[in-house]
Amino acid sequence: MAIDSLVLGAGQEVGKSCVIVTINGKRIMFDCGMHMGHLDHRRYPDFSLIGPNFDQSLTCIVITHFHLDHIGALPYFTEVCGYSGPIYMTYPTKALAPLMLEDYRKVMVERRGEEEQFTSEHIVECMKKVIPVDLKQTVQVDKDLQIRAYYAGHVLGAAMIYAKVGDAAMVYTGDYNMTPDRHLGAAQIDRLNLDLVITESTYATTIRDSKYAREREFLRAVHTCVAGGGKVLIPSFALGRAQELCILLEDYWGRMNLKVPIYFSAGLTRQANMYYKMLISWTSQKVKETHSTHNAFDFKNVHKFDRSMIDAPGPCVLFATPGMISGGFSLEVFKHWAPSETNLVTMPGYCVAGTIGHKLMSGKPTKIDLDKDTRIDVRCQIHQLTFSPHTDAKGIMDLVKFLSPKHVILVHGEKPRMATLKGRIQSELGIPCYYPANNETVSIPSTHYATAVASDAFVRSCSNPNFKFSTSSWEDEHGSTSRNKNFIPRLQVTDDRVAQGILVMEKNKKAKVVHQDELPLMLGEEKHQVKFAYCCPAHIGNLQENQETESSGLSLSSTNDDLLQLLSAKLANEFSEGSLHDFGEHLQVESFHVSICLKENCPYRLRDVGVEEKSEAVFFCCSWEVEDEKLAWKIISMC
Amino acid sequence: MEDHVPRACDYTLNLPSVSPNQPLSTETLASLRSLIINPSTPAPAVTSIFETLTRSLQLSRDPLVIHHTLKLLSDLASRHTHLSGLVFDSVCSNSLLSTESTRVAAESLDVLASIAESNRTLAPAIEEIDDRLFASLCFSPSAAIRPWLLRNAERFGVQPYLLSSLFLGFTKDPYPYVRKAALDGLFGLSKTGVIEDGDMIRGCYFRAVELLNDMEDCVRSSAIQAVFAWGLMLMACDLETKAYWSDEVFVKICSMARDMSMEVRIEAFHALGKIGMVSEDILLQTLSKKVLVATKEKKSLAQCSDEQLKLSGSIVAGAFMHGLEDEFHEVRKAACHSLGTLTILSSKFAGEALNLLMDVLNDDSMSVQLQAFETMHQMATFGHLKVQERHMHMFLGTLVDHNTLTRSAARKILKLAKLPDLKLFRSTIDALLDNLEMCPQDEADILNEVSPQMEPVSNVKLGFDNVRVAALLVLAISAPFSQEHGCSIPPSIFSYAVTYLGRISHALSDIMHQDGLLNYLSKCSKSSGPYDIEFDFAVRELSGFIAVPLPQKRDGTSDILSSTVKEPREVELSLVEYRLEVHDEVTKLMNVVLAKVKDIWPFVQSGFTNEVLRTLRSCREELATFTCGSIASASVFTFTLQYIKIMKLLAKAWVNFLPSRHFPSCRMGNLDFLLGKLDARLSELKTTFIRLSKEEELHILELILVTCVLKLSKVEICCHLSTLRKLSRTMARVESLLQDETVEPSRFTIEVRKLLSEIGASLNGSSCNLSLFRRELESFSLMQLVLCGRLRHIKADLDIPDNNYEHPLRFVAGLPVGIPCHITLHNVMVQSRLWLKMTANGIDDSQFVYLDLNLFGGCDDLRIVTFTAPFYKTPKAFSFTIRVCICMECLSEDEDVSSLKRCGPRHELTYLCRETEVFLSMLK
Repeated sequence: MAIDSLVLGAGQEVGKSCVIVTINGKRIMFDCGMHMGHLDHRRYPDFSLIGPNFDQSLTCIVITHFHLDHIGALPYFTEVCGYSGPIYMTYPTKALAPLMLEDYRKVMVERRGEEEQFTSEHIVECMKKVIPVDLKQTVQVDKDLQIRAYYAGHVLGAAMIYAKVGDAAMVYTGDYNMTPDRHLGAAQIDRLNLDLVITESTYATTIRDSKYAREREFLRAVHTCVAGGGKVLIPSFALGRAQELCILLEDYWGRMNLKVPIYFSAGLTRQANMYYKMLISWTSQKVKETHSTHNAFDFKNVHKFDRSMIDAPGPCVLFATPGMISGGFSLEVFKHWAPSETNLVTMPGYCVAGTIGHKLMSGKPTKIDLDKDTRIDVRCQIHQLTFSPHTDAKGIMDLVKFLSPKHVILVHGEKPRMATLKGRIQSELGIPCYYPANNETVSIPSTHYATAVASDAFVRSCSNPNFKFSTSSWEDEHGSTSRNKNFIPRLQVTDDRVAQGILVMEKNKKAKVVHQDELPLMLGEEKHQVKFAYCCPAHIGNLQENQETESSGLSLSSTNDDLLQLLSAKLANEFSEGSLHDFGEHLQVESFHVSICLKENCPYRLRDVGVEEKSEAVFFCCSWEVEDEKLAWKIISMC
Repeated sequence: MEDHVPRACDYTLNLPSVSPNQPLSTETLASLRSLIINPSTPAPAVTSIFETLTRSLQLSRDPLVIHHTLKLLSDLASRHTHLSGLVFDSVCSNSLLSTESTRVAAESLDVLASIAESNRTLAPAIEEIDDRLFASLCFSPSAAIRPWLLRNAERFGVQPYLLSSLFLGFTKDPYPYVRKAALDGLFGLSKTGVIEDGDMIRGCYFRAVELLNDMEDCVRSSAIQAVFAWGLMLMACDLETKAYWSDEVFVKICSMARDMSMEVRIEAFHALGKIGMVSEDILLQTLSKKVLVATKEKKSLAQCSDEQLKLSGSIVAGAFMHGLEDEFHEVRKAACHSLGTLTILSSKFAGEALNLLMDVLNDDSMSVQLQAFETMHQMATFGHLKVQERHMHMFLGTLVDHNTLTRSAARKILKLAKLPDLKLFRSTIDALLDNLEMCPQDEADILNEVSPQMEPVSNVKLGFDNVRVAALLVLAISAPFSQEHGCSIPPSIFSYAVTYLGRISHALSDIMHQDGLLNYLSKCSKSSGPYDIEFDFAVRELSGFIAVPLPQKRDGTSDILSSTVKEPREVELSLVEYRLEVHDEVTKLMNVVLAKVKDIWPFVQSGFTNEVLRTLRSCREELATFTCGSIASASVFTFTLQYIKIMKLLAKAWVNFLPSRHFPSCRMGNLDFLLGKLDARLSELKTTFIRLSKEEELHILELILVTCVLKLSKVEICCHLSTLRKLSRTMARVESLLQDETVEPSRFTIEVRKLLSEIGASLNGSSCNLSLFRRELESFSLMQLVLCGRLRHIKADLDIPDNNYEHPLRFVAGLPVGIPCHITLHNVMVQSRLWLKMTANGIDDSQFVYLDLNLFGGCDDLRIVTFTAPFYKTPKAFSFTIRVCICMECLSEDEDVSSLKRCGPRHELTYLCRETEVFLSMLK
């Protein structure tokens, strides 16, 4: 059995996330995104690779969150390409995705005058096919396929998806964040038995600083600006960042008793705030805990902004869309505010090339030519935000380490960085890791469990605890020093109730697990045990070295029992009392058994012993079991 | 009603007695239960119930019935303790422990153990329960009972070595709750410290480490505790490798800091803080998500075999950073707390940690913020708080936080903080000023706590001392306000500055004259208008303060300053005058009155008692004419009033020691009474006022000395020794106050000192000559008491609402009654021990209830609480009254030996309020 992962998008790149995973005959499409950087056919994943009939070849689609690079191609795929199977996403994603898609469609069609890829009706129709899921709700897609969503942070409603078919299980993370921000929590998942984890790797090599430092820098910049009577422009995306920054400011305003007004420009943001207020259960602990007394998205200091207030005197803070100052209201405000050096413009972490945001971030320009007639004097301060809703390299490592899957596939990242991360995952965690390019398939083996019937005796033995303690002796560790003994547990405990079972597979019968004692009975055989035996000559001098004075010349006259006592005394020095048993006739250490050999022709005696020795030597007949071999040879060497 | 109970009982018991060979039904058991828990069930009935139950226990084989029966027996034993021994025996003897049903056996064990816990005499019996039995129960197939057995193992006195093997073995159990119980057991066992076998310790430790990777949250959380506890044992058993082990344990626990379960993370951070020894490299690594070079190169003791230690860097990396930015405030708080204990280990680590902590001040949870302050405070206490400039924005921001707790916590740290340079110092002062401006209610705290203690680290370099800082601070307070904020400054701030006048003028004596300063400040404090004073307020430019341009008064009556106005010597002299200069109206007036009081002394000495008393009376009348608004002035007022009363008593007593020919001597009894009263008043004065200045306290002490000497010089004295003891004790206090030689001892004090050394030389104090003491008295003369206005009166208000003789509280004779008290405390320090004294009328014995000040809200200045005090000894009377009052223990006084045996105050008491009468009447 194998799990095949066909990467249709976001392989060694960021954009148009789309991975098709085949597990035990089920095919799941994770995400169906579009690439914002391309305008030709490369904008969408190459759906032709799926097969001729989408409905037949795909079991379901699962969307992790509402960002366009994860959902942008969905209306096209369902309405234009004609997929009509089930689509799963979380409730917030289902609520917010149409907003995002419609906004995008408008921008594309109405502003840029491009050919329309899908219509508003398409979006509506597409959304009708969506089945919403809740966090940690196990959805039985069909008889064999189970999916479950886990909280991923990142944006409102983002989820990591666990999918299980039969015994094979995998997690597709989507985008996630391992550190919480002001309004969303950190990703949260159970420890699962996984064959495969497909994780994003946007920041495959970056290790980010404390979020507190980022917040401090931001607050300090804003506070200094408004304290000096300046205006702060925060161009931001409608969803997510604006709310986080606003909660941060609101909190700070409250504590510092600041009265400077904060404005939200009209548009998506205010509508989005409403969604946030309704979807409280998807936010962080703090917001959830306090929302009964104060909904964090009920911004006390926030007012609606009016176009006429752009040139009003006095300090203020304004959130305006779009985020990259690529046009719209944020550009309009920017034109008015940029020329004054008391003002401040904060820039998001990432701006597409060609936008004003990008120009501002790459060096500090003094003049920006908007078009051939308009030129803006930029004298205001620029503050770059380093907030990001993606986890950093450490977060990826932490998650992979926590989940400890058998294989890892990296998507949604840049190739050279992914290579570095792959190296780390393989060397530090010992997990095989892949980062396929687009349209490549990675095949990994999956777990398959066979069902077996258990015998009663085995079940009984399983329910009774049966632990054993074993002590390993230091000498087993080759080359270890005496000091080292502290660092290795000598005492170890094992409980082999299950290990004692024996799997019996007979033809035409179901596999069966039986207790080891049952096996001879079943097979009609007797139990055999392998024992070693050796009859070794006793070197009396060896034994007597300590008692020379007393027993000189004693060799032949001494009785056999005395010899055994001598050996016993010697062994007592070596072993603790508990392990050495003296039965008079014979001595026993673990399974090692020694007695005086009285036979003339002991079968275990080596024949090449010299003739002259043979007449006078006394022999010890030794026997032992396999597991005590080392011990046995050690004792024999002392004889 | 009660008559019916036995009959009902007989009736119920009929059922089993009819068919003694049948086990009880569930219904019967239920009805038996009501009889058992009813306290009115007569003893014979209980006994017969016990017998029935025992019989049933023998007969029944149904585990459900046995279960209920055992439950009833355990109830019976707990409610009727005299039967507990019998129950114990019956459960023991019924061979329940060796039945096939593990559940029944476990339940019987539970019953036995709980009986033994309440009845100590049976404790040895429970010890006798065979270890083998316990072990065999554990090994039974019933997995449901196993966790219970493991959790309760400690109750059965099982041998530690057997226990440890059991626990260790069961960590391998497939059921997570068994594993958890086993780990918890191991954790508990480690605390007893009986396991000393190195192999065992290592075995347990490594097994716990394995379980850190368990699939279940609860097991991982217990595993952390176990790893920590057994790790500590490993550290303890070999000093040579202690460092290695502490690092090892630390790294292992750190690896759990990124667990997905909040409980596990909390547990991990709690454990991290308790490890008392970690190498600095590892500590530093916990603050950085990037793997540091130092950790990479770290050589471990066991480097030969331990491959994974090379990875420890990446395991530990950023553990605390993650902890501090965790989603859950519980985790953040735990991380913050642990950080505090770890910063003690290394100052370098503390420095790095501070960078993070400063940011935590911006946390959205109040409790985390306060914990961060707490941690910083801890760092400051250990001298590891090194504030840098980049911290200041965040830190000073908290000084103007709208939350009072935050502000005061920040100031508390500022008090201990060492500021590295002048620039920081200045910005700190600016922030304090903003704080003051924003929240005037903080001013006392700001000025009294922060300013005197704030010392820049490089004192010498900056060239100014403590006092100077205070002075500059006050100047800085008054100056910039007056210029920059126009009239927004409340005059009270200037009054504050005036209280610092002595210090200011002293500190700045080389550049300014205190006359001018006083004028300036008092003018400012009176007017609220724009200050018509030409200060060039570059005073904030502290760097060149020698050249500080100082105010010049326009009207020219007094030249406030010039660079060298007076000779230093003169300055010193005038300084003394001004230090005594008083700063608010009430205190000034009081001092005028007190000056009059001083003038009466010659009259007292010459025996004109009537005149003296008249003068004092007029003083009191004068005092009565004015009302006082603020708490401070009220305290001064009360003080003066009491002082005058004392003077009256002293004058009355003194006359008895004059040559008696002129004056008809009072009767001796009367004198005793007077002296006793005088003594009491003086102690009251001493204990119920706090923040007495040294001069004020010395004055009171001297009066106490005089009283003692008066007592001693009496002809018949009954308590010679104790008075002598008091004399020497008071003298010791005087000596300690005089130690720094800023105040000259009076002649009388010197005489007493001499006298005491003489007495000490002679063998027995009582052999001293009376005339010796009499001579002493001649050297006494009353000094003028000058109040400086800082003192505060400790007092309490006690109110029993809705209670008078028409509306008494209801009580049942013999049962305690709750008395609702509304208590208001003024100026009570948190360390004082307060008692509520309750005395029933006609009964000598008083009952004391301790008032825990932690119950009160508010601060030292004012605490308010509603408290229900229990009064136990309600008599068999239709109605009675209790006198209630609040007392404070004088910890400085001798222990009252007679009160040792009963619970209650051990020292002399001072009454903080008048006795309030509470009316009680019996409930009909």
